[in-house]
Amino acid sequence: MTVTLASLSRQTGLAVLDHLERSASIPVVHGLQAQGDLIVIPLPVIASSVKVWSDSQWKDVPGEGVELLRGAAPGGNPHTLVADPGTCRWTTHVLDSDQLAIGVFETSAVAYLLHPEHGATGCPPGTYVIRRQREHEGRRTRLVAD
Amino acid sequence: MSVLPQREAAEIREEWLGRALSTLPADRPAAEAAISGLYHLIGLPPPRFHWVPSPITALATVPPGIRPRPSETVDDVSAWPLPSRFSSLMRQLCVALDTQAGWGHRSMEQLIHQKVRNPLTRSADGSLRMPLLSAHDSRHRIPSTWYDTQCVSWIAHYDALRRVAGVRFTPEQSRQLDLWAAVARSGSWWWPREGVCVISERPVTMRTEVCGDDGEVRLHGADGPAARYADGWDVHAWHGTWVPSWVITDPSVQRIERESNVEVRRCAIEHIGWASYIDRAGLRLVASAPDPGNPGSELRLYDMRRETRVLLAVNGSVERDGHRRRYGLTVPGFLDDPIAAAGWTYGLSAEQYSLLLRRT
Repeated sequence: MTVTLASLSRQTGLAVLDHLERSASIPVVHGLQAQGDLIVIPLPVIASSVKVWSDSQWKDVPGEGVELLRGAAPGGNPHTLVADPGTCRWTTHVLDSDQLAIGVFETSAVAYLLHPEHGATGCPPGTYVIRRQREHEGRRTRLVAD
Repeated sequence: MSVLPQREAAEIREEWLGRALSTLPADRPAAEAAISGLYHLIGLPPPRFHWVPSPITALATVPPGIRPRPSETVDDVSAWPLPSRFSSLMRQLCVALDTQAGWGHRSMEQLIHQKVRNPLTRSADGSLRMPLLSAHDSRHRIPSTWYDTQCVSWIAHYDALRRVAGVRFTPEQSRQLDLWAAVARSGSWWWPREGVCVISERPVTMRTEVCGDDGEVRLHGADGPAARYADGWDVHAWHGTWVPSWVITDPSVQRIERESNVEVRRCAIEHIGWASYIDRAGLRLVASAPDPGNPGSELRLYDMRRETRVLLAVNGSVERDGHRRRYGLTVPGFLDDPIAAAGWTYGLSAEQYSLLLRRT
C-alpha cells in the first residue's frame, strides 16, 4: 500500500494541516534529511561523535508513533516517528559529543517522520540519529524550538 | 489508569488555573477572613489590611503607620518573620496531608502530580510570577519561598487528592487547606507583617497563550502589555519572556543594537521578523549558497554583532498562504561559509551538511 500523509494521519490519529498534499506518496530518502528544527542522520555519518550505550533500553515504536519533540509555540506541533509495529525500535540512551541527539532509531522497514506543518518524510531500513538544532546566543547555545 | 480520573484531574487544574489568572476584582472580605484565619493558626490576632492596586505598589510603598524592621527588605521577603512562619505552617500541613494520603493512593498521587501540580507550577512560573519578577526588578528567578507558599499548584494538588482520589483529611487539616484555598481563590499576592498585611489587587488584564500539553500557559502580548494593573503599572512579555515595553511597542533596530540582554534582543527581532530586521539593520552579507536539500532556496549568512553572525534560511515546507517562511539562526562569528553555519546548527561539518537530500 502506498504510504501518504493521509494514511499516516489515519494510522497515528495525528492531524496534518489541510494545505499540504495529502494523497501523494511520501518520498523515501536514502541519506540526511531535515524536518524543520530536527535532522535525521544515518548513524555511520556521525558514528565518531554519537554512541549508543551498550546497555541501552530500546523501545518498540508503536503504530501510533513516538513523539520526538514538540514546538514551543502555542499548541506546539509535534515531530512524530511512525513505523509499522514490530519494525522499528528506538532509544534515548545516547551519548552525543555535541549534546544535540534526542535519540537513535533502528528500523527494518521504512519509518516516517511526521509533522502537522512540515508533512512527512520516509527513512529506509537502517540506523539513524535524530538531532535537534541549536543557535548561538551570547556565550551560550540555545536549542531551537520552532 | 482509566480516563476518568485523568479528565477530573484536568478539570480541577483548569479550575485553579482560571482562579489564578482571574482579572476580576478581589473578593476582599473572603481574602481578609482567610488570611486572618491563617494569622490565628500562628497565634496572632487578625491584622489590619492594606490593599494596593499592584505588586509594584506593594513593594515600593510602606503602609501608613508602619516602620519596617531592618530585616524586612523587599529583596528578601521570605526572610521576614511572618512569611517564614506561614511557610513553615504550610510545609507542616503538606507533610500531614501526605501522611494522611499514605501509600494507598500512590498511583493517583502520581497522576495528580503530573496532571495538576507540575503544569500549574509551570503556568505560574510563566505567567503570575512575571509581574513579581518585574516588581522586584529581577531578570532571574526570585529566590522566594514565600511566593512558592502562595502558589496555587500545591493547593490544587491536595484539593485534587481529596476530590479525585477520595483521600480523607481530618477536619483540622481540611479547615487549614480551605483557608489557603480561599486566599488563592479570592485575592492575589500578600505580604504579611505583625499587625498589618499588604495585599495586592489582581491585574485588570492578563494575556496568556497555551504552551504545553497539560494546559500550561505563559504570558504573551504581541501588541500591548501582557499584564496590566488598575494603577496603570504593566508588564510586557513575548512568548513567556519578560521584556521591556519597547520590544512590544517599538522594536526598532537602534534599540535592539543598544540592548545588552541577548534574550531580549532575540524577542525584539522575532517581533520585527528576521528578514525585515536584516534588511532594516543593513547587515552585511558575508556569503550565500544554495541550500542543500531545499531546491531553489538560498542560505544567506550576515554579520550581526561581535562574535555573532546570522544565517537566514528558508523553510522547507510552504505556509498556508503558499509562501515559504524565512527565519534567522544566530551562529558563532568564526563561521564564514553558510553551509558550515547551517551544519553547525545541527553539530555537523560543512561536508556532512552538504549531504542533506531533503528538507521539509
